[in-house]
Amino acid sequence: MKNHRFRLVVAALAATALLAGACGDDASGVAAADTTTTATPQSTDSTATTVATTTTEAPDEPVVVPKPSFEGELSGLFSIAAASCADTEVTGSYFRMLQPGGSLADGPFVPNTDSTCVDPSFTPLLPGSDGGFVSGGFQPAPVPPFDADGNGLAQSVTAPTPFFGVAFAVSSEDEGAAPLITATDGTLTGELSGWTANYANLVFGQGTPKPDGSLPGLTSELSGTIDPATGAYVLDWASQIVGGSFNEFSGIWHLEGEFAAAG
Amino acid sequence: MTMRRTLTISALVVGLGMIAAPALFGMFSRAPDGAVMIDDFRPFMTPEQVDLFRGYLTEIDAADTESRLVLEPALTQSGVVDPAEYRIKFASLVLLNESWPAIEADMTDLVDRMEDNLDSYAAVDALPNFKLFPWFFVAPGVLISAIAAAALIADRRGASTKALLRVLAGLGVAVVLAPAMFQMFERAPKGGDMIEDFRPMMTVERVQAVQGYFITMGAAEGQLRNGALPLAAESGDLPLDQFVAISQFSEDWPEIVIEFAPMIAAMSDNVDNFAAVDALPPFAMFPWFFVAPGLLVVVLAILSERRPREYLGIENVATI
Repeated sequence: MKNHRFRLVVAALAATALLAGACGDDASGVAAADTTTTATPQSTDSTATTVATTTTEAPDEPVVVPKPSFEGELSGLFSIAAASCADTEVTGSYFRMLQPGGSLADGPFVPNTDSTCVDPSFTPLLPGSDGGFVSGGFQPAPVPPFDADGNGLAQSVTAPTPFFGVAFAVSSEDEGAAPLITATDGTLTGELSGWTANYANLVFGQGTPKPDGSLPGLTSELSGTIDPATGAYVLDWASQIVGGSFNEFSGIWHLEGEFAAAG
Repeated sequence: MTMRRTLTISALVVGLGMIAAPALFGMFSRAPDGAVMIDDFRPFMTPEQVDLFRGYLTEIDAADTESRLVLEPALTQSGVVDPAEYRIKFASLVLLNESWPAIEADMTDLVDRMEDNLDSYAAVDALPNFKLFPWFFVAPGVLISAIAAAALIADRRGASTKALLRVLAGLGVAVVLAPAMFQMFERAPKGGDMIEDFRPMMTVERVQAVQGYFITMGAAEGQLRNGALPLAAESGDLPLDQFVAISQFSEDWPEIVIEFAPMIAAMSDNVDNFAAVDALPPFAMFPWFFVAPGLLVVVLAILSERRPREYLGIENVATI
């Protein structure tokens, strides 16, 4: 009996809400919908799917089920969370350099004695002035890209990072397609062909795939995950250097942070 | 067939041989590879650059010596860090100390080879662009073949071949003189010497060894700058001004990286190009690849011109 009354009250309230929504303006309609959806302020797709519910005996009421957030092509800022590596466990974003002939899992890695990590094979990354990298756009290096000592000057993606006495700087150069990250059920894939490390007056294409679409040597495809609700992401890839003074060395990039959709 | 025609046909064959030679020696692909190598090494094959590299090696040697003979004893004997801990804490520095003699020997060998071949490099660099080399055979080969063919046609038609055979002889003389004009007798053997001297350094293994040296040196420099010297400073009893060589090494390290990296890149990027050039016939023989066919064409043209028009065999019968 008590349950029956409760259902009647709920049905009456729902009917009132629907009537109010129908009579109100667009803004109030959105407001009404917002009350029934999970807050997804950074969703790339704000449309929601309305489905009928059969879980109540009250008249069918629309229940708005949010589509997974951060689904499809992600256009916006992938902020870079600074690394924490004061002990042997490293969290956050970092870079490692694999020596020729090594394996991505086991090394040998180049020990960067400018690293603040306990394990100097990890070089911590700090966010740059933009806070991270932009998917869907470029963040080129300034002109000139180096100072007199060969330190890279780009600082929008990451802060210039000391490496063997010289700072490398990351930029996202127009080497073809713009950075493109796609989320599918929480899994990230995509292209970062223009990811570039500027170091010691030298420019290293460190993206994946390479601008010509190839994956030479140990270069791996971009892989990662994203939390559909929070935008917390992890991205990993390796990019083997082809030619030059670091021929066959591979850069291993691990980025963590949060994604924020553009606009 | 008349002797006169036989001689002219021989000249035609020589011309065709000159056309085919570059393809037979793979010059169309190898010569441009050589041109790339010559271009890539140009910035480093100067006395100034060699002196700069040698100076850096001297500087690193001084820092290595100072770290072994002054810094390490100062830190360990003063009790700032015990010897066993020093070896763990500054493992990259210890690695440099232990491997520096071998690194120095190998790097010095590279710089020596560069210095020893400055003149040879300049001589090769003064030759016409390597990319044109195949065409130095093809172009005269085509001319010789065309004129010899024209002479044969004229001869068959009973026309005078005198002028054509004289042009052919002139072409032969030009081909003979070409190496002298380009000073190839002097320069080509020097190129051969350089190829010999560079052979041990233009291998993947050697390049990777040099890349490894820079990891060793760079890691040690970082430990000196970020670890050992700050530790000495913290102790209060070890004034940093006694570590002059180490300080200089750290101050110049970015410059050392910037200067050496392109040279290592030139080595690394030209391993294949070097192999291509090394697969060509010996450089010292190149002038003779012009002189020999040139002389042959001259002799054949002169002999052909001097031969009277004799009719033998079928042609003779037909004429009767």
